[in-house]
This record gives sequence, C-alpha cells and structure tokens, in this order.
Amino acid sequence: MDLLTGLFSTAFLAGGVLALAALGEVLAERVGVVNLGAEGLMAMGAITAIATVTATPYPMLGFIAALAVGALFGAVFAAATVWLRANQVLCGLALTLMGTGLASTIGRSYSGMPARAVFERIEIPLLSQLPILGKALFSQNILVYLIYIILPLALHYLLFKTRHGLNLRAVGENPAAADAAGIPVNAIRFAYVTAGSALAAGAGAYLTLAFVPSWSDGVVAGRGWIAVALVIFAGYRPIPAALSGLLFGLITALGFVGQARGWPVAPAFLSMLPYLGTIALIIVPVLAWQRMRRIMAAPAALGEPYFRDVR
Amino acid sequence: MVAGLRLQRLPSAHPGIALAARGAAIFLALLLASIVLEITGAAPLELGAQVISATFGSTYGIEDLCLLLIPLLMTGLAVAVGQQIGAWNIGAEGQFYAGAFSATAIGLFVPGPTIVILPLMFIAGAAGGVIWILVPTLARAYAGVNELITTLLLNFVAALMVYYVSTGPWRDRVGMSNSATPRVKAEIPEFWGLVHWGLPLGVLMAIGFALVLSYSKWGYEVRLSGSNPSAAKYAGIPVRRHIITVMLLSGMVAGIAGMFEIAGTVHRLQGGISNNFGYLGIMVAVLARNSCIGVIFSAALMALILNAGIILQTQGLTTSAVLAITGLILFLTAIGDELAHYRITRIKI
Amino acid sequence: MNDTTQSLPPGTPPLVQLKGIAKYFPGVIANQDVDLDVMPGEIHALLGENGAGKSTLMNILTGIYQPNAGEIIIDGYAKEFSSPLDAIAAGIGMVHQHFKLVQAFTVAENIHLGWDKTPKSASAPKLEARTAELATKFNLQVRPGARISELSTGEQQRVEILRVLAREARVLILDEPTAVLTPAEARELFKALREFRDRGNAVIFISHKLDEVLEISDRITILRGGRKIATEQAVDCNPRSLAKQMVGRDIVLANMRQRPAGAAPVSTEPVLRLDNVSALGETGLSALHGMTLDVFAGEIVGIAGVAGNGQRELSQVLTGIRPPSSGRILIDGKPVERANAADFVAMGIGHIPEDRLHSGLAPALSVTINAVMREYKKPPVTTAGLYRPGAATTLARDIAEVADVTVPDFTMPIRNLSGGNQQRLVARREMRIASKVLVAAYPSRGLDVGAINTMLKYIVELRDAGAGIVLISEELEELLNLSDRIAVLYEGKIMGVIDNDKVDIDEIGLLMGGRRQTKEVA
Repeated sequence: MDLLTGLFSTAFLAGGVLALAALGEVLAERVGVVNLGAEGLMAMGAITAIATVTATPYPMLGFIAALAVGALFGAVFAAATVWLRANQVLCGLALTLMGTGLASTIGRSYSGMPARAVFERIEIPLLSQLPILGKALFSQNILVYLIYIILPLALHYLLFKTRHGLNLRAVGENPAAADAAGIPVNAIRFAYVTAGSALAAGAGAYLTLAFVPSWSDGVVAGRGWIAVALVIFAGYRPIPAALSGLLFGLITALGFVGQARGWPVAPAFLSMLPYLGTIALIIVPVLAWQRMRRIMAAPAALGEPYFRDVR
Repeated sequence: MVAGLRLQRLPSAHPGIALAARGAAIFLALLLASIVLEITGAAPLELGAQVISATFGSTYGIEDLCLLLIPLLMTGLAVAVGQQIGAWNIGAEGQFYAGAFSATAIGLFVPGPTIVILPLMFIAGAAGGVIWILVPTLARAYAGVNELITTLLLNFVAALMVYYVSTGPWRDRVGMSNSATPRVKAEIPEFWGLVHWGLPLGVLMAIGFALVLSYSKWGYEVRLSGSNPSAAKYAGIPVRRHIITVMLLSGMVAGIAGMFEIAGTVHRLQGGISNNFGYLGIMVAVLARNSCIGVIFSAALMALILNAGIILQTQGLTTSAVLAITGLILFLTAIGDELAHYRITRIKI
Repeated sequence: MNDTTQSLPPGTPPLVQLKGIAKYFPGVIANQDVDLDVMPGEIHALLGENGAGKSTLMNILTGIYQPNAGEIIIDGYAKEFSSPLDAIAAGIGMVHQHFKLVQAFTVAENIHLGWDKTPKSASAPKLEARTAELATKFNLQVRPGARISELSTGEQQRVEILRVLAREARVLILDEPTAVLTPAEARELFKALREFRDRGNAVIFISHKLDEVLEISDRITILRGGRKIATEQAVDCNPRSLAKQMVGRDIVLANMRQRPAGAAPVSTEPVLRLDNVSALGETGLSALHGMTLDVFAGEIVGIAGVAGNGQRELSQVLTGIRPPSSGRILIDGKPVERANAADFVAMGIGHIPEDRLHSGLAPALSVTINAVMREYKKPPVTTAGLYRPGAATTLARDIAEVADVTVPDFTMPIRNLSGGNQQRLVARREMRIASKVLVAAYPSRGLDVGAINTMLKYIVELRDAGAGIVLISEELEELLNLSDRIAVLYEGKIMGVIDNDKVDIDEIGLLMGGRRQTKEVA
C-alpha cells in the first residue's frame, strides 16, 4: 500500500468510531435531547464487546451485545430526561461518569489482553481495485460499510424524505406544535434517544473489536465528547456527521503516520490534534460563516424538556 | 385520577424539599451500590464499618480525608463560580492540570527561597488555570460557542501535556520513578498534622466568593446576568464583560487547586495528578446547588466517598467504582431536583 | 341572521356537545359545569375575558387537556379524547392563538406534520405539490416552499387554517384570530369562515372583542370565571348587554384622555426625539427604517400596528438596549452619544417590556433582586460599592406596597407571583425612575380586566405627573382611549402620526396594512 492509501485506510478505520457515535448523537439531538452520556455509553459498549467475544468468539455477537447494553443505559437516561424531565446536562454527565467508572471496574480483568476475535476485512470485488480510495474504503471490515455508507444514507432518507422523519424533526423543533398535530412527543423522544445510545455503545464496540483492538482503561479517551462536538459541526445531519468522523479519522491517521515516520514531534502532541481540531472546528465556523447559521442551526427545542398539562 | 388529589408542578422547588431530595439521592445511590456489592459477594455493611473506622478511627484517617477535601473544595468552587454566570466549566480537570503544570515549572526551574517561590507558584498556578479557560471563554463571549464541550476537550490536551513533560523532558532522572518530575522543593507549610494551609485558604476563598456575590454591586450584576442575560441587558449590565471575568475566575480557582496539589500534597508533577478531581468538582457544585458556602460541605461529603473508595481498594474496589457511584448520585440528584418541583394537592371544589 | 341553523331537520344532533366539563389547575378552577352545544352550519362565539376559561375549554375539546369531569359528545356519540389525534380524527381542528407551527419548516412540511394522509415517502417537491393542490381546493393562498419564519402573521394563520381544513375538520376552532391581523386581513378571514360554515360545518370563534363577535357569529356563549353564563342568539344581543354579562357588572368606559386639574401640561419641546433612526433586528436584518418620532412631556403617544412590525426594536431603541444603526436619539434636545440601557435609566427613561418574564425579570431570582433592578447602583441599595440586602428589601417592600402586591416572602423567586402581580411590580418599579419618559409595551397583555384598569390608571397618573409616555399596543380601543397622538407602525416604518381628535379608524386600518391615504396627516 502506498502512503495515501495507507493514510485513507487508517482514516476510514479510525474515523468510524467517531462517525458511528456522532450518528447516534444526531438521532438524540434531532428529537431535542442532548445526550452528553456518549462517552460513558462508548465505554460500556467497548467493555461489553470485549467481554462478549472473550466468552464467545463472534465479533458480531459482541457488537450486538454492545448495542443492547447501550439501549438499556439509553433507556434509563431517556426515562429520566424525557418522562421525568430531569436536567439533560446533569443526567448526561452522570451517565458519562457511571459508564466510564463501571466499564473501568469491569474492565480490570480484561485490561491489556487483545480481543479474542475481531472484525476481519472484507474485500469488495472490483470496487477494491480502484486506485487509492478503492483499497482504502472497500477493503475494510463490515462495520465500516455500515458506518460510512448504509447508516448515513438510511438515516438521511429517514430524516428528510419520510413522513416519520418529518414528525420526528418536528418533535425536536417545536414539541408543542408536534403535540398539537397529534405526534406522540415523548414516545418519539424516548425511542430515538434509546436508539442513539445504542449506536454510541456500538461505536465503543467498534473501538475494541475493529480499531484498537483491545480494552485498556481510558481507551475511549474523549471520543464520545468529540462525537458530541462533531454533531454541531455537521449541522445535525447524518451524512456530514459521518464525513466529519472521517475528517477526524484523517487527523488521527496523520498522527500515526507522523509517529511511524519519526516526525520530530512528540507523540503526545500528535495525540492532542483531534481535541484541538475539534475545538477549532466548532469555533471557526461560527465566526466565518455567519450566513450558514440558519442551515446549521440546532433543533430549536434542543435541551428543553416538554411539559403539556402544566401551567 | 385519585379522587380530589392531584400532582402539581410548582414553578420553583422549595429549598428544603430540594435538599431532602439530594439526601434521598445519595442514600439511594449508596443503597444501590451496596446491593450490587452484596450480589458480587462482598459484605457492604462490613466494608462500611471498615471505612468509618479507617477514616475516623485515627488522626491519619482524618488527615487523609482533609487532603482529599482540598482539591475537591477548589474544583467544586471553580464549577460553582462558573455557574453564577450560567457557564458550565467542565474543564476544571484541565485547568487543574494546567495550574499544576505552571506551578511545577516555577518550582523546578526558578531558584530562590520558599517564601518567594511559593507566591510565584501560586500566581503561576492561577495564571495556568486562566490561560486554560481563555479560549473557551472568548469563544463563549464573542461567538456564543457552548463552553461545555470546549472546556471539556481541553482536559484531554492538558492531560497529554502533563503526561508528556512528566515522562519526558521534566522526568526525574535521579529517582526511582521515571513517570514523575523531581520533587518540587517549595512546600506549603502544614497547619495541622499533614494538612497544609491550602485547606483554610480554600475555605476562605469560598467564603470570600459568597460574600462578594451577596454584598457587592458586582455580585448583584453577576447574579442577574447569570439568571437571565436578557433581563441583565435590559438593566444596562455589561453581560459579556461579566461572563469573561467570571469564567476566567472559575479557571483561576481550578488552576490554584492544581498548584495546591503540587505544593501541598503530591510535590511532584505526574500523569493523572488530577485524579478526576475536576469531574468530581462538577458533582460537588451540583450537590451544593452552586452555593459557594455549600461547596465546603458537599466537598467534605465527596471527600468521604472518595476516601472510602481508596480505603476499599485493598478490598478489591477501585476508584473507578467510586466514579461510577458518583455518577449514580448525580443521576439520582438530577431526577430528585425535578421531582422536588412537584407536590400533591387536594383540589377544593 | 343565518337560516342554516333554523333549517336543520328536527332531531339533528349538535356537531359538538360538551356536558358538565370541569378542569382544575393548581389553585385555579379553569372550568366548572360548562355546557356547550355547537350545531352544524353555525358560527358560535365563545366570549369572555382573559382567564375566563375559553382556551382551557377548547384545549379539552381538542384533546390537549383531559377534563376532570364531564363528557364530550360528537354527532350524538360520547367520545373520549386522550390525545389531539383523537380530536383530529373526530373532525375537530384548532387554530391556536400562538400558532403551533414549526418555524424552521416550510409551509408544506407544516401542513403535513403528524398527518396520516401524508405519503410515507415524503420528499419536499411531493409535499409542496400536494400543498399547492390543497391551497387551491380550499381557496387559501399560501406559498408551499416558504419557511414559516419568513411569513407574516396573517400568512401563518392561513397555513394553520389550511392545515386544519386539510384534515377534513368539520369544526374549526379559532382562538383570538384577529389579534394578529390588520382590519383588512380580518375581513378576508371572516369571508373564509362564512364559506366554511355555509358548507354545513361549524366554527367556534374565541374572542373578547364585542364588536367582532356580534359581526361574525350566529350564537354567542359567554364564559366568566370558568363557568358558563349564557348562550344567546347573536341577533338578540348588543355590546352593552354582552359586556355586562362578560364582566359581571356595568363597565363605564372612562375617557382617560381628560386631564384633571393640576396635571402637567404638554411640553413645547420634545423630551425624547428619534431623528431618522434605523436599527437592526435580532437576526441582523434591518428592523427599523429612518424613523422620526417626537415624544413630548405630559402626553401619551400610542404606537399602533400588527405585532412584529418593529415594535420590539422600537422599544429597545427608545430605552437604549439596542443601538441605532444610523440616525440620532435626542433626549431633552441633546443627542445621545452611545446608547446604553443604564445611562437611559439614569436619565429618567423607564421601560415596561413586552415580555416581562423573558426580558424584564429574572424569574428564578428573589422578589427583592427583581424589584431593585433599576436602583441597585444608587444609595441606599449600594453605598461605596457595597450592596446592602437590607436596604434592597426595604426598597422592594416600598415598591410592593404602592403596587398593592402582597408578597409573603421577599426572598422567594418572583416567578411564584401571579402574572398580574409581576406586571404591577414591574410597572411601579419603572414609574419610580421614569421621570422623563415611560415606554410601555403591551402593558395589558395577558391581564384580566381589573388588572388592565389598574395598569392604565398608572400610565395616566404618570402622564399627569409630566412624563412622556410611549404606549405600544395591539388593542386599538386601548390606544384610542389613552393616546393623544397615534403613530402607526408597519414593517419598521412609521406610516403616519394621527391626532386622536381627528382620528379615523379606517385610516388607521389602512396604515396598519401598509397603505397610505393620499392626503398626508400631521
């Protein structure tokens, strides 16, 4: 593999974690709930996946188990924020603390061991023969196709081309209007926050079964928070969310290449790049593209619980 | 519906009920944790007894507790100060690192007597915290960028930076460990046993903030700006200026916390020096309902919980388990806060 | 008046029948023992003051609230509406006073929201084509591809009505529909409603305006204090009898323009002057264009116009919150160098803002903190930089006393007070400092009749003490009753300033709609 192919191949692989988590966050935020628990959900997904493949060597089973655990934690979070209307910021932070702490506690017995089974690369005939991108994109594990192609397109279609998508976006924009139109606001919020949480945990499973692939304490390393930031950068849209995940994969890959080639920069500084890059990416657009504000705007009711029979 | 009875949501929770809800949340979280322990084969009551005797059974125990209390008090105060203007400083962890880093730099590389070096370290620690929150502050004040994520992401950068210097250029080349800097010579003097003067200073700072907020024109303006920025603009208050000042102060307090940790407790810079104090500080501030005085008490409570975790490490528990329990408390507190708005009333017809 | 009702075959069940409806909120009986029947082919007005329980009753009929007692009978069958969906399915649709539209969505998207007839695969062009079809079918002009945030309030209302009609509603409920319309737009609406009725449907028309209720409706039901007072044929009613039943006593419309002896005369020089002032709105677009306006001491200048035509920006410019993008503000003839709300306060300009909870108060903070918001910088509240809570509470107590508000605990959050009490405190707080000018934006909005009277009395009292008043209102009656001159605002411009002695309602109506008569007015 030449340098570019290698770079993009690593970028797709590394970016998948962020892209999947960001897609999950898009679902939650589109219905008006900020889920700051992504970091904790990813940690739980990561350890669930490792624990599962240690017991049974099927990576897909590990991934599905992670989705299930994510959905469970997500349902608890959604119950608190949607039905009980507790503060979303606090509950999200709490979920991050719980998930991170619990995963570390469980993870002590798995620490350092390589995953017993991982997702293998699947070469797609013909497409993988294309120059540069062919090898980089079409010779990856199955989750990469799911994350970059199937999910973003499916979610884009769901959100912007279907009746159901219209209703669920309305829930995030103006729950009172959605309610008056007969849309079950809280049920929709509950469902999508839970589904989004499952995807975040899935991103954790991807981390330990396809990317790293092993468990160590702190393996999530703020990727959940970067994913939350990417959603803002992506204007709450699935396709840009997946693409910005890729952009961050590229930054990470550059760091790897730098290390491999012995650039005169300490690895610690290269590891800082994704975090600094994220900060730049959420500040710069606000200053640079004033006109984009409407298109990039957050759902109007983001972060607000909905009360009906109260005055 | 139940005949004549109704659930009613009040616009504001009664302070007493809200406090009770907090107590209930802590109790419930500890109860849940004990049940989990019981299931996994540990004996929670015995462990509890062990914690109490280890903490309060000796002067050492109480001293350890106080040493944990200092950083928790400071990071909790940092978060609470930010909340006065409505800002979520989730970056106390990073500012803590930055303060520790700057203080260490002075301590290691500037020669001089302790009486000169200590104040310099204090200033450096404060400045480190301020610099670390500067970009999120300006982004919030001038571009409306949510400070929650920007402050948080800088935590990772700070951790990497400290990890790099303490294992790289500043590594202790003489001592046994190669993952920490040499010992910083200037030390905050002790005022009781092992407990250094950081504790009374921290308590004074908390009281000072509380007094300034309640009894100054500036404090009035900050409270109004934090509670409703458009009302503050209507009253002619320079909201943006106050956001900047208060957020920088918040970073400063967290930076000082890092300096205290270096000059008072640990004396060496090392990776993981912050020990999650920044994140636990969020918890401290929330439990105190962002009252600067309340922070003193909730920090003591958090220190107790954290200390229990450390004592139980020998019993197979970890600090990560403490983090998880903390998360559970926070989660139940958030729910309790909302439920405290409700009361059951009888309807008169 | 309308023969459809009479010509119904005997035994025709009412389209909608409500029996013994009750609904309670904490400390409030919103509805009690309310009966209502609405026949096919009638426009039925629901008349009552603010807080009479009209909106609550309709929220029950549309499934948003569930009643604590009583039954809903549609076409003779008892129904239970556990959600708005059930009500929509039963053919009941409502146009809310505050439109339930998603601002960021297009007209087409809003029409198709939560509708089971929306195709499952719903692309934008498909929805827009369907919307255009519906618009033609129901003869309601809308722009399917436009975003709601770009529409005038009149257009938004059409979208709401089209959405309800598209769902095959047979009962159309409108909550205070004319409050946001110019007189011409209101006439258009009435025409559409009559057409709808004549097709055998029913309209429930909620209002507190007597004249329009008499004009549009066939029957009138009057609510007071959550209870039904009477249902009458519109032909048998007159404004006086309706007003008496609505308020429960005879109301004497006092002419508040009359000055008592000793009142301050109108000054010869303006105390505040806008000289060719333009300003940007919240979105960065121009909201006020080259506005020139004089306010003299001792007079009330009314600002008429449909809400959203620059009222918010005007009140902010007048009080120093929003800096003008061009032009000058002169106070006592001296130009203001830099607009700053605190300086305006120091110069004696008070401001009752249009949305008190959002911009005039910090709801979560104590009554004291809110009460001293205008005077916290001065002694006795602050001396030598020290804020004195005791002195602040004393001042707050004084303000509460003149405002006649009983505050059990001055440390409790001000949101625990009722809306009327909050408004009285704000008004009194502002009157204390408004030695030159008071800008009052919608001071009576959301208040009941008694509270409105108090509020207007305050304003007159301040005028007689020699302050200039700028009164922004959507109630023409209120403006005519108080103002010495009325300026009409349309799309950020003053269309004309009319002397109240030579007032012509039709002319004001035209100006509100953006049209000028040929002759220029003073």
